[in-house]
Amino acid sequence: MRLLVIEDYRPLQQSLKKGLREAGFAVDITGDGQEGLWYALSNDYDVIILDLMLPGIDGLKILKELRSKGRQSHVLILTAKDTLQDRITGLDHGADDYLVKPFEFRELLARVRALLRRSYRKKNPQIKIKDLRIDLTTQKVWRGRMELELTPREYALLEYLAMRAGEPVSRTDIWEHVYEFNSAASSNVVDVYIGYLRKKIERTGKPPLIHTIRGRGYLLGDQP
Amino acid sequence: MTTSLRTRLILGVIGGMVLLLTVFSLTVYILIQRALANQFDAALVSTARILASSIEIDANNIDLEDVQQMPEFNDPKNQTYYQIWEPDGAIVVKSPLLGADDLPRLETSLGIPAFKALNTASDPKRAVCLKFIPRTENKEPQTNQQPANNKILTLTVARGASGLYNQLSLLRWLLVTASAVTIALSVLIAAFIVRRGLRPLHSIAFEIAAVREDDLTTRIGTTLVPAEILPIKNRLNDLLSRLEGAFQRERRFTADVAHELRNPLAGIRSTIEVNLTRTRDIPEYKSALSDCLEIVEKIQKMVNNLLLLARLDAQQVSLQSEQIRLAELVDSCWRPLSDKAVDNKITFENRIDSEITFESDRQNLSTILSNVLENAVEYADEGGQIQTTVHLEEDSVEITISNTGCQLTTEQAAQVFDSFWRGDPSRKDAGVHCGLGLALVDRIIKALGGSTTAEVETAGIFKMHLILPVK
Repeated sequence: MRLLVIEDYRPLQQSLKKGLREAGFAVDITGDGQEGLWYALSNDYDVIILDLMLPGIDGLKILKELRSKGRQSHVLILTAKDTLQDRITGLDHGADDYLVKPFEFRELLARVRALLRRSYRKKNPQIKIKDLRIDLTTQKVWRGRMELELTPREYALLEYLAMRAGEPVSRTDIWEHVYEFNSAASSNVVDVYIGYLRKKIERTGKPPLIHTIRGRGYLLGDQP
Repeated sequence: MTTSLRTRLILGVIGGMVLLLTVFSLTVYILIQRALANQFDAALVSTARILASSIEIDANNIDLEDVQQMPEFNDPKNQTYYQIWEPDGAIVVKSPLLGADDLPRLETSLGIPAFKALNTASDPKRAVCLKFIPRTENKEPQTNQQPANNKILTLTVARGASGLYNQLSLLRWLLVTASAVTIALSVLIAAFIVRRGLRPLHSIAFEIAAVREDDLTTRIGTTLVPAEILPIKNRLNDLLSRLEGAFQRERRFTADVAHELRNPLAGIRSTIEVNLTRTRDIPEYKSALSDCLEIVEKIQKMVNNLLLLARLDAQQVSLQSEQIRLAELVDSCWRPLSDKAVDNKITFENRIDSEITFESDRQNLSTILSNVLENAVEYADEGGQIQTTVHLEEDSVEITISNTGCQLTTEQAAQVFDSFWRGDPSRKDAGVHCGLGLALVDRIIKALGGSTTAEVETAGIFKMHLILPVK
């Protein structure tokens, strides 16, 4: 899942980047409002974490611009402004959630996960595809009764496929939602990781779950 | 001295009434008394004249027959008495009613009546005394006989005046009673009017009592207020406005402080939390700790600034005057900033003459210069310039600090001394920037008796002028 963080306070920027990446997200981060708006418009982020007081452009203006251009990314406002009026204004400008600084990091993660489930219309934090079970909270994966050991990148890939289970997912989509803006990886890295993932999921001789749809990408679950 | 407005008003009104009524009653009484006495005396004199003219002298006999017949002397109610003396004081005749008593023989001259009140307790009388030459019986020309018969007699006529005195005492009683009743009534009326008149005061007091300390937007006297209370109402409302403004500034300041503290707190907290999520190697911990330390240092600086501001507000800052070599002080304030200036390729030029000295408070002036120079480094453009100059006047010194790369407008420049205001568009450095530095500068300069101004010149040169009084 790919996040954009627009936050100008450098120490917070750094800890958010570190914490969110370690939680398995692909994170783009910027401290400049204009740049943030450009990022948000040029990529389909799953969740945008937005500070309100930014140099260059006000956070609320970014939000307005995004919504008026029809962007559907979920936006979580993360700000030191804590009055009721601030919260109402933020939500009414099209934000999906509002968190006041200082915050507990676990809560931020939980809220981001909740927004992600909403993005993909999943109420249940556990996704089941046949005998494959994914716990979105603990990020653990089971095939049958056996827990699978996945690297963060493999998990991120599987999670994205699981969110869109039952439909073909293009390489571009995967690229956009699992990798960061300026990651050095080349485009066939997706195929390589799909290979790793397949190996781990189908290791015990179980039937394949990830199918290649020619010309359209990959599909997790039953073929249509 | 009573402090009750109502009592004072009532007492004043009653006092005035008593004085006026007393003067009025006395005047009325004296005038009426005089008029009645004059009337009485006039009647008495005419009686005396009639009596005098009716007396005839025949040789040495006095004919009093007619007198005995006069009705005045037979009225039992207003008993009238007479007594006539020879020039030598021998009594010629007197009313038989007088018995053993005599009427007074007053000193007077011919034809001019003299009066006297005879105030015996039981029977007060008024008397008039006349000197006259009685008529002689023969109607011949008097020229010859005149010397012989030209005897001047003295006549006193007195009449019971109890009627007059009764009338006067009735008048007295009437005046006193009427005055008393008037005063009693006016006490009631005055109390009523004063109470009514002071009612707006009560309603204002009620409105003031209804003002709550947590809601200073209320204003007093929304209803019609009398002209006398209007100034009080206006002053009170002015006071309320000022208080409201002060409270609002205070609230905004507190909110700003809270806001400025939240960012670094969020930074520390998430840095610690993220690093605690798993076991890491030592360099990572070290880096996290030094990140936290950096944030804490900035928080500490901000708290120090806040404390200094609070002390300045409470006027708890003591000032110590000493001789200061300005150029040296500016250099020492610049030293801690020079690294950052080098990083940003900013050049610094201290154009203050090293000979210039004056008396001021070293500690505070150093805080001022540090903050202003720090601000200049913060906002100067990369490769820009910072300059300090000084201008000496007879009783003041003007230190000017200028930096290039300013993107503020002149209006914005005027705001730089407000707490927590920052010229966002030009902020390059994301991080804790306690927008207190210049507010502090302004406050300290004011405490030192000076003033600050800021201006933006064309080509983005920001100039801050610090004006300090010099002894």
